[in-house]
Amino acid sequence: MPAEQMGQVPKRLRVIYAVSTVIFVAVLAISPIRDHFAVWKRYQKRYVEFVGTRANSRALKADFQGGINQIWLPKLNVTDRCTTCHLGISEASLLDGSVPQPFRAHPPIPHHIEAWGCVVCHRGQGLATTVREAHETTLAWEKPLLPIRYIQASCGGCHQNSLQQTPRLDRGRELLVKYNCEGCHRIPGIVRPAMLGPDLSNIGAEVSRAWIYKWLKEGRTVLDSSGDVVVDGYEMHPRMPRFRFKKGEVRDLSAFLSSLNSPLAESSKIDPAVVAAWPNRAALLSYGQLRFRQMFCTDCHALAVVRLGQTELIGGDMGPELTKVGSKVNPDWLVSWLRNPQAYLPHALMPRYNWSDKDLYAVTQYMLNTFTDPKLLGDVPKLGPTTASEVKQGRKLFVAKGCRSCHVMQGIPPQKDFGPDLSKEGAKTVSELFFANAKIPHTLTAYLRAKITNPLSVDPKGRMPQYHFGSADLNAITTALLSLTGTPTNPGFALLTVPARRAKFDPAGEFGRIYHRFKCFDCHRIDGYGGTLAPDLSFEGSRAQRAWLVSFLHNPQTLRPTLTVRMPQFNFTDQQANAIANYVDMVLQNPSINRAAVNPESFAPEMASFGKELYFVKYECQSCHTIGAKGGYVGPSLTNVGNWMNAAWIEAWLKDPQALIPGTIEPHRDFTQPQIQALTAYLLTLKQKSSGGVAPLPGDAK
Amino acid sequence: MKRYAFLLALPLLVGLTACHARRTAQKPDPLRNAYGTEVDWNNSDHLIPLDYEQSQGKRLFYIYCVWCHADSTPAGPSNRYNLTPTPHLMNDGAVLNSMSDQYLDNIITLGGSAMGKSAMMPPYGNTLTQAEIRHIIAYTRAIAEPPYHKPNRPLPQYKAR
Repeated sequence: MPAEQMGQVPKRLRVIYAVSTVIFVAVLAISPIRDHFAVWKRYQKRYVEFVGTRANSRALKADFQGGINQIWLPKLNVTDRCTTCHLGISEASLLDGSVPQPFRAHPPIPHHIEAWGCVVCHRGQGLATTVREAHETTLAWEKPLLPIRYIQASCGGCHQNSLQQTPRLDRGRELLVKYNCEGCHRIPGIVRPAMLGPDLSNIGAEVSRAWIYKWLKEGRTVLDSSGDVVVDGYEMHPRMPRFRFKKGEVRDLSAFLSSLNSPLAESSKIDPAVVAAWPNRAALLSYGQLRFRQMFCTDCHALAVVRLGQTELIGGDMGPELTKVGSKVNPDWLVSWLRNPQAYLPHALMPRYNWSDKDLYAVTQYMLNTFTDPKLLGDVPKLGPTTASEVKQGRKLFVAKGCRSCHVMQGIPPQKDFGPDLSKEGAKTVSELFFANAKIPHTLTAYLRAKITNPLSVDPKGRMPQYHFGSADLNAITTALLSLTGTPTNPGFALLTVPARRAKFDPAGEFGRIYHRFKCFDCHRIDGYGGTLAPDLSFEGSRAQRAWLVSFLHNPQTLRPTLTVRMPQFNFTDQQANAIANYVDMVLQNPSINRAAVNPESFAPEMASFGKELYFVKYECQSCHTIGAKGGYVGPSLTNVGNWMNAAWIEAWLKDPQALIPGTIEPHRDFTQPQIQALTAYLLTLKQKSSGGVAPLPGDAK
Repeated sequence: MKRYAFLLALPLLVGLTACHARRTAQKPDPLRNAYGTEVDWNNSDHLIPLDYEQSQGKRLFYIYCVWCHADSTPAGPSNRYNLTPTPHLMNDGAVLNSMSDQYLDNIITLGGSAMGKSAMMPPYGNTLTQAEIRHIIAYTRAIAEPPYHKPNRPLPQYKAR
């Protein structure tokens, strides 16, 4: 190389150098340029413009902070930059629905946004600063924003108890229990009861093979012309889902089940003298109908009626519907069952009534002869005699279809975890899900909905049977499933979990035996345990007078004018009624009420007349309560309140009703003490003359 | 020059496809982002989307108010026709739209007699919280027929109109 050329760069190299410099600068510039045109900057500019149009623009502008805003909660491992664009999230003046998103304020909820951040409830990617990355599923982030209709699922992640603000979540959890999902799936928070579906160990003694065939083919015995049954405006489907049986499988299963036929444990004999005593059939059936109605069987069992051309079920759903039970069950079985339900199904919810043979015969004859449909089994093919190979095949099917998950069967061990574990179902990421060829968005919510609506759509070889849910129930059950996020990995969250309170009220002694025999807990709640069909009895001893309790137990009268359900007549013996009254009087007391402290004898007659004026003129209590035939339908009838309630209870109730029964709708008013005493004095004068139907019992003379 | 034209056309094409994609995107379902829904009282096929506060109001309405302010109740017949004067239906926009939020708040909190109306409307100020009363009003506004529009000028607090 000549000396003068040393240090000189060839021209070609210069060009390469120049071009690469330009490319290098351009590449370096991409990031700042992208940053300059970032979406959040546009939103912040728009926010400032928007705020300028508001009446309190100065205060709003003072609150505005430019740049990336974030909520950082190290204990929860939360870093949410959502407030970079959602700038008005905690501005109370921007709560109005007319404020455009993303500037609208968050509606006031029990949790403070600064203390909880956003993604804890809404999911999504808190660190992201672009719209798509923050809200939707991307390759890097598989947990998209939870659609608002399922947002209550997030409440359920920590609150395992029931919350009044989350009706959809509560409904979903109820549905998971009602449809026995825990039969096949492991679901935390649901305790598997002793019985899910009925025990089928002796099903052949209850129903015929033809009926089993019919039930497995089409699980509905009641249908209207359109093939549906409507309850409260919703299409009704039986609790048992529909299974996809192949040809011949129903025949085999019905053969196996009907072969399970051993003698009944409880006698089905009726005294022949009772049968012979009826002069004619019409008298027998009409007496049976009377007793059927007096026993209020429809509190728990539904019957179909046709209204305006539409078939509707009227009655409760605690037991099976009875519209065509006469064409279903074996007559001997019905007698034996009613006499002692627990002899056939040890965990049945049905109470064991004190039947007389006369009543039992009349009621069973009425049911067997009236609730019938001769065409019910018309479409069942001729099944012929049961063969040993059919029975063997049916037994195999019983195991293969997972029937044992819900139905007890002697000789077949329980199938544990027949379906997948659902304890972390709500926290699954998209890559953990299998969509088959389903044409649905690839998100967890869409997957859950598809799986519940039609299990085969996302899993063509799946074993899950077919359920039928309306759209409201589908939303509810999806919400409940989304709330199953498993044990929190973050210790911060583990501390926040609010467990469900479960304490079983299980009294011992004579009352305990009555309590279990008559299944008081089916309808009544005591100390947080039991059904909600009937009043909570936790403080019944403070409320009711003992003598009234005994007479009510013998002859229950409805206390609320519009209620269609009523306590059945259990035909308690005097001893049983007194045992219940003793226990209630002694134990079921509210600690804040001292019955001896208020003496009704001390009330002067003027107080009662002042109280009457307050009742009818000043406070117009008659708008909600009836006395005699007059008054409103909202509260209980006060016609006999002087015999019914204790004076101390009435005073405490008027002072603060919610303190005695939380959530009662009786408004808490600002009565003065003299007003409370006057109203109590007046109410205690309201006494209905005894109807004379029940003789006073020894031991409740006072 | 032709080469440059191609380079110019490329972003235009990309832009056009983006526009096309946006145009074919489905119209959002108004119920999709609703916290809850309520069936229109006058048209059972129509669902009204409710936000959080309105949904809370709906829940409270069906606990406390439905007995006298609706024609049918979860427990059967309504108490409405037992009462004189007959209480307004909760969706009666013709009447309730002309009452201010503050007036409704007052009558729920203090009761009818405090506002010169029937004493049959009891006071709920001790039973419900301020927020709960606000939720019930929000629900009333959501189901109103004819629909409720926020007035430009504030309406009186202590008078119905």
